[in-house]
Parts: sequence; structure tokens; C-alpha cells
Amino acid sequence: MKEVAELLNAMCSAGVIREYALFGAIAQMRYTEPVATPDTEVLVAVPDPQRLDLLKPSYEYCAARGYQPEDETVRIGAWPVQFVPFFNPLAEEALERAEIDNFEGVAFRVVRADHLAAIALSSGRAKDYARILGLLESGSVTREQIARLAARHGLADAWTRFQARFLNE
Amino acid sequence: MSETQKLLERQAGWQKGRAALTWSEKIRMAEAVRESVAQLRRARLLRLRSAPLKPSTTVLRKLENRK
Repeated sequence: MKEVAELLNAMCSAGVIREYALFGAIAQMRYTEPVATPDTEVLVAVPDPQRLDLLKPSYEYCAARGYQPEDETVRIGAWPVQFVPFFNPLAEEALERAEIDNFEGVAFRVVRADHLAAIALSSGRAKDYARILGLLESGSVTREQIARLAARHGLADAWTRFQARFLNE
Repeated sequence: MSETQKLLERQAGWQKGRAALTWSEKIRMAEAVRESVAQLRRARLLRLRSAPLKPSTTVLRKLENRK
């Protein structure tokens, strides 16, 4: 994973991507117990968001350094890494407000727990609900923080339904 | 306390212990699990490829009903 962090930082410095932040299961593990995941998901902002082939420069940059595409991911060391351009205002905010962690001596941008929970709420699959419960249980995010984000991003109803289903003791 | 309760408490304690690991330790654990799962999947695929295809029971019943 250190190799992933180093490559992403290098991609930022080279201007191939404007910004990045780790999200999904690997980011979740910063706050909760480890979970099984097949790949690493990385939110990215690209310098030219208008181009049709948004990720082409990223793939080319990786390929030039020996990191080959593998289905919809790029294999970096032990991990298949999926670059995901931010897909809505919530993901954009998550990317902008991500935190910088120190991963074995390398700076690594990671989506905050409240944004992870809100993104999971917007996805709405069973595993996403389990992620929200895990984040709440770990104490890394509060119901109020999720409620505020949900209200700002049109997820208030989804949050009400989630609470009725999983949190009403 | 029943045996089941003790077992559940031990499991909860174990999970909390894993949550307290550093992020890089947790990622290393996930990496090991991912490799094991990938190996199992590859083995299953190989087994499926080498096994002769058999029609399902449902298909066999349909064929018999047509007779």
C-alpha cells in the first residue's frame, strides 16, 4: 500500500491528477477493524474534467512506470487500484476535505469517516449499511455528523430510513 | 454466564483488539485475506473448467416432460 501512496503523490506532483483521496474499504479500515476487500478505491480529481477519457493520462502515467491495467483497475504492487473520478457533490466534498495520514512514512490522503458514512448511505447496499454501523460503533463518526452531511446532500430521507431500520433500539 | 455468552464476549474482545491495530497492520491483514480468497477463487475456477458440464435437474425435468 505504501507503493500506492507514493505513486498517487507522484501523480499529483506531476499534474496527472489534481487531487486524490482513498475511500471504500481500505479507508474504512483506518477507523474500524480490518475487512476483506478485493481492491483499493481512490477518488480522483483530474486537471481537465471536460475530456471524455478522463482517466487516460492516469493510465498512461501508470503504464509508463510498469503498472499495468487489470480489468478496470491498475495493479500497483499487491493491490488492484481503481481510480474513481468524483461522481457527485458529496464525493467532491469528500475529496476536498480528506485528511492526510502518515502511512509508513508516506503522506496518504484519506476520506474522513463522516464522508465515508455519507457515501455509504448514498450507495445503499447491504455492505454499505454495515460500513455505517461499523463507523458509528468505532466512535469515529456520530449520528449528528452523518445527519448534517445527509441533509446537505439530499440524503435526509435515506438517513431517516437507515435510523428507523438499524438504530432505533 | 452461559457458554454462548462467554464465546460472544471473547469474539467481541478479539474484534475490538483488531480494531485497535494500526492502519498499516490492518491493511496487511486485509492483503493476506485477499490473497487467500483469490487463491480459493482460482482453484474453484480450475475445478469448474475441468469438470464436465451437466444439465441441471430443472433442465432434465423439462426435457422429460416434453417426451
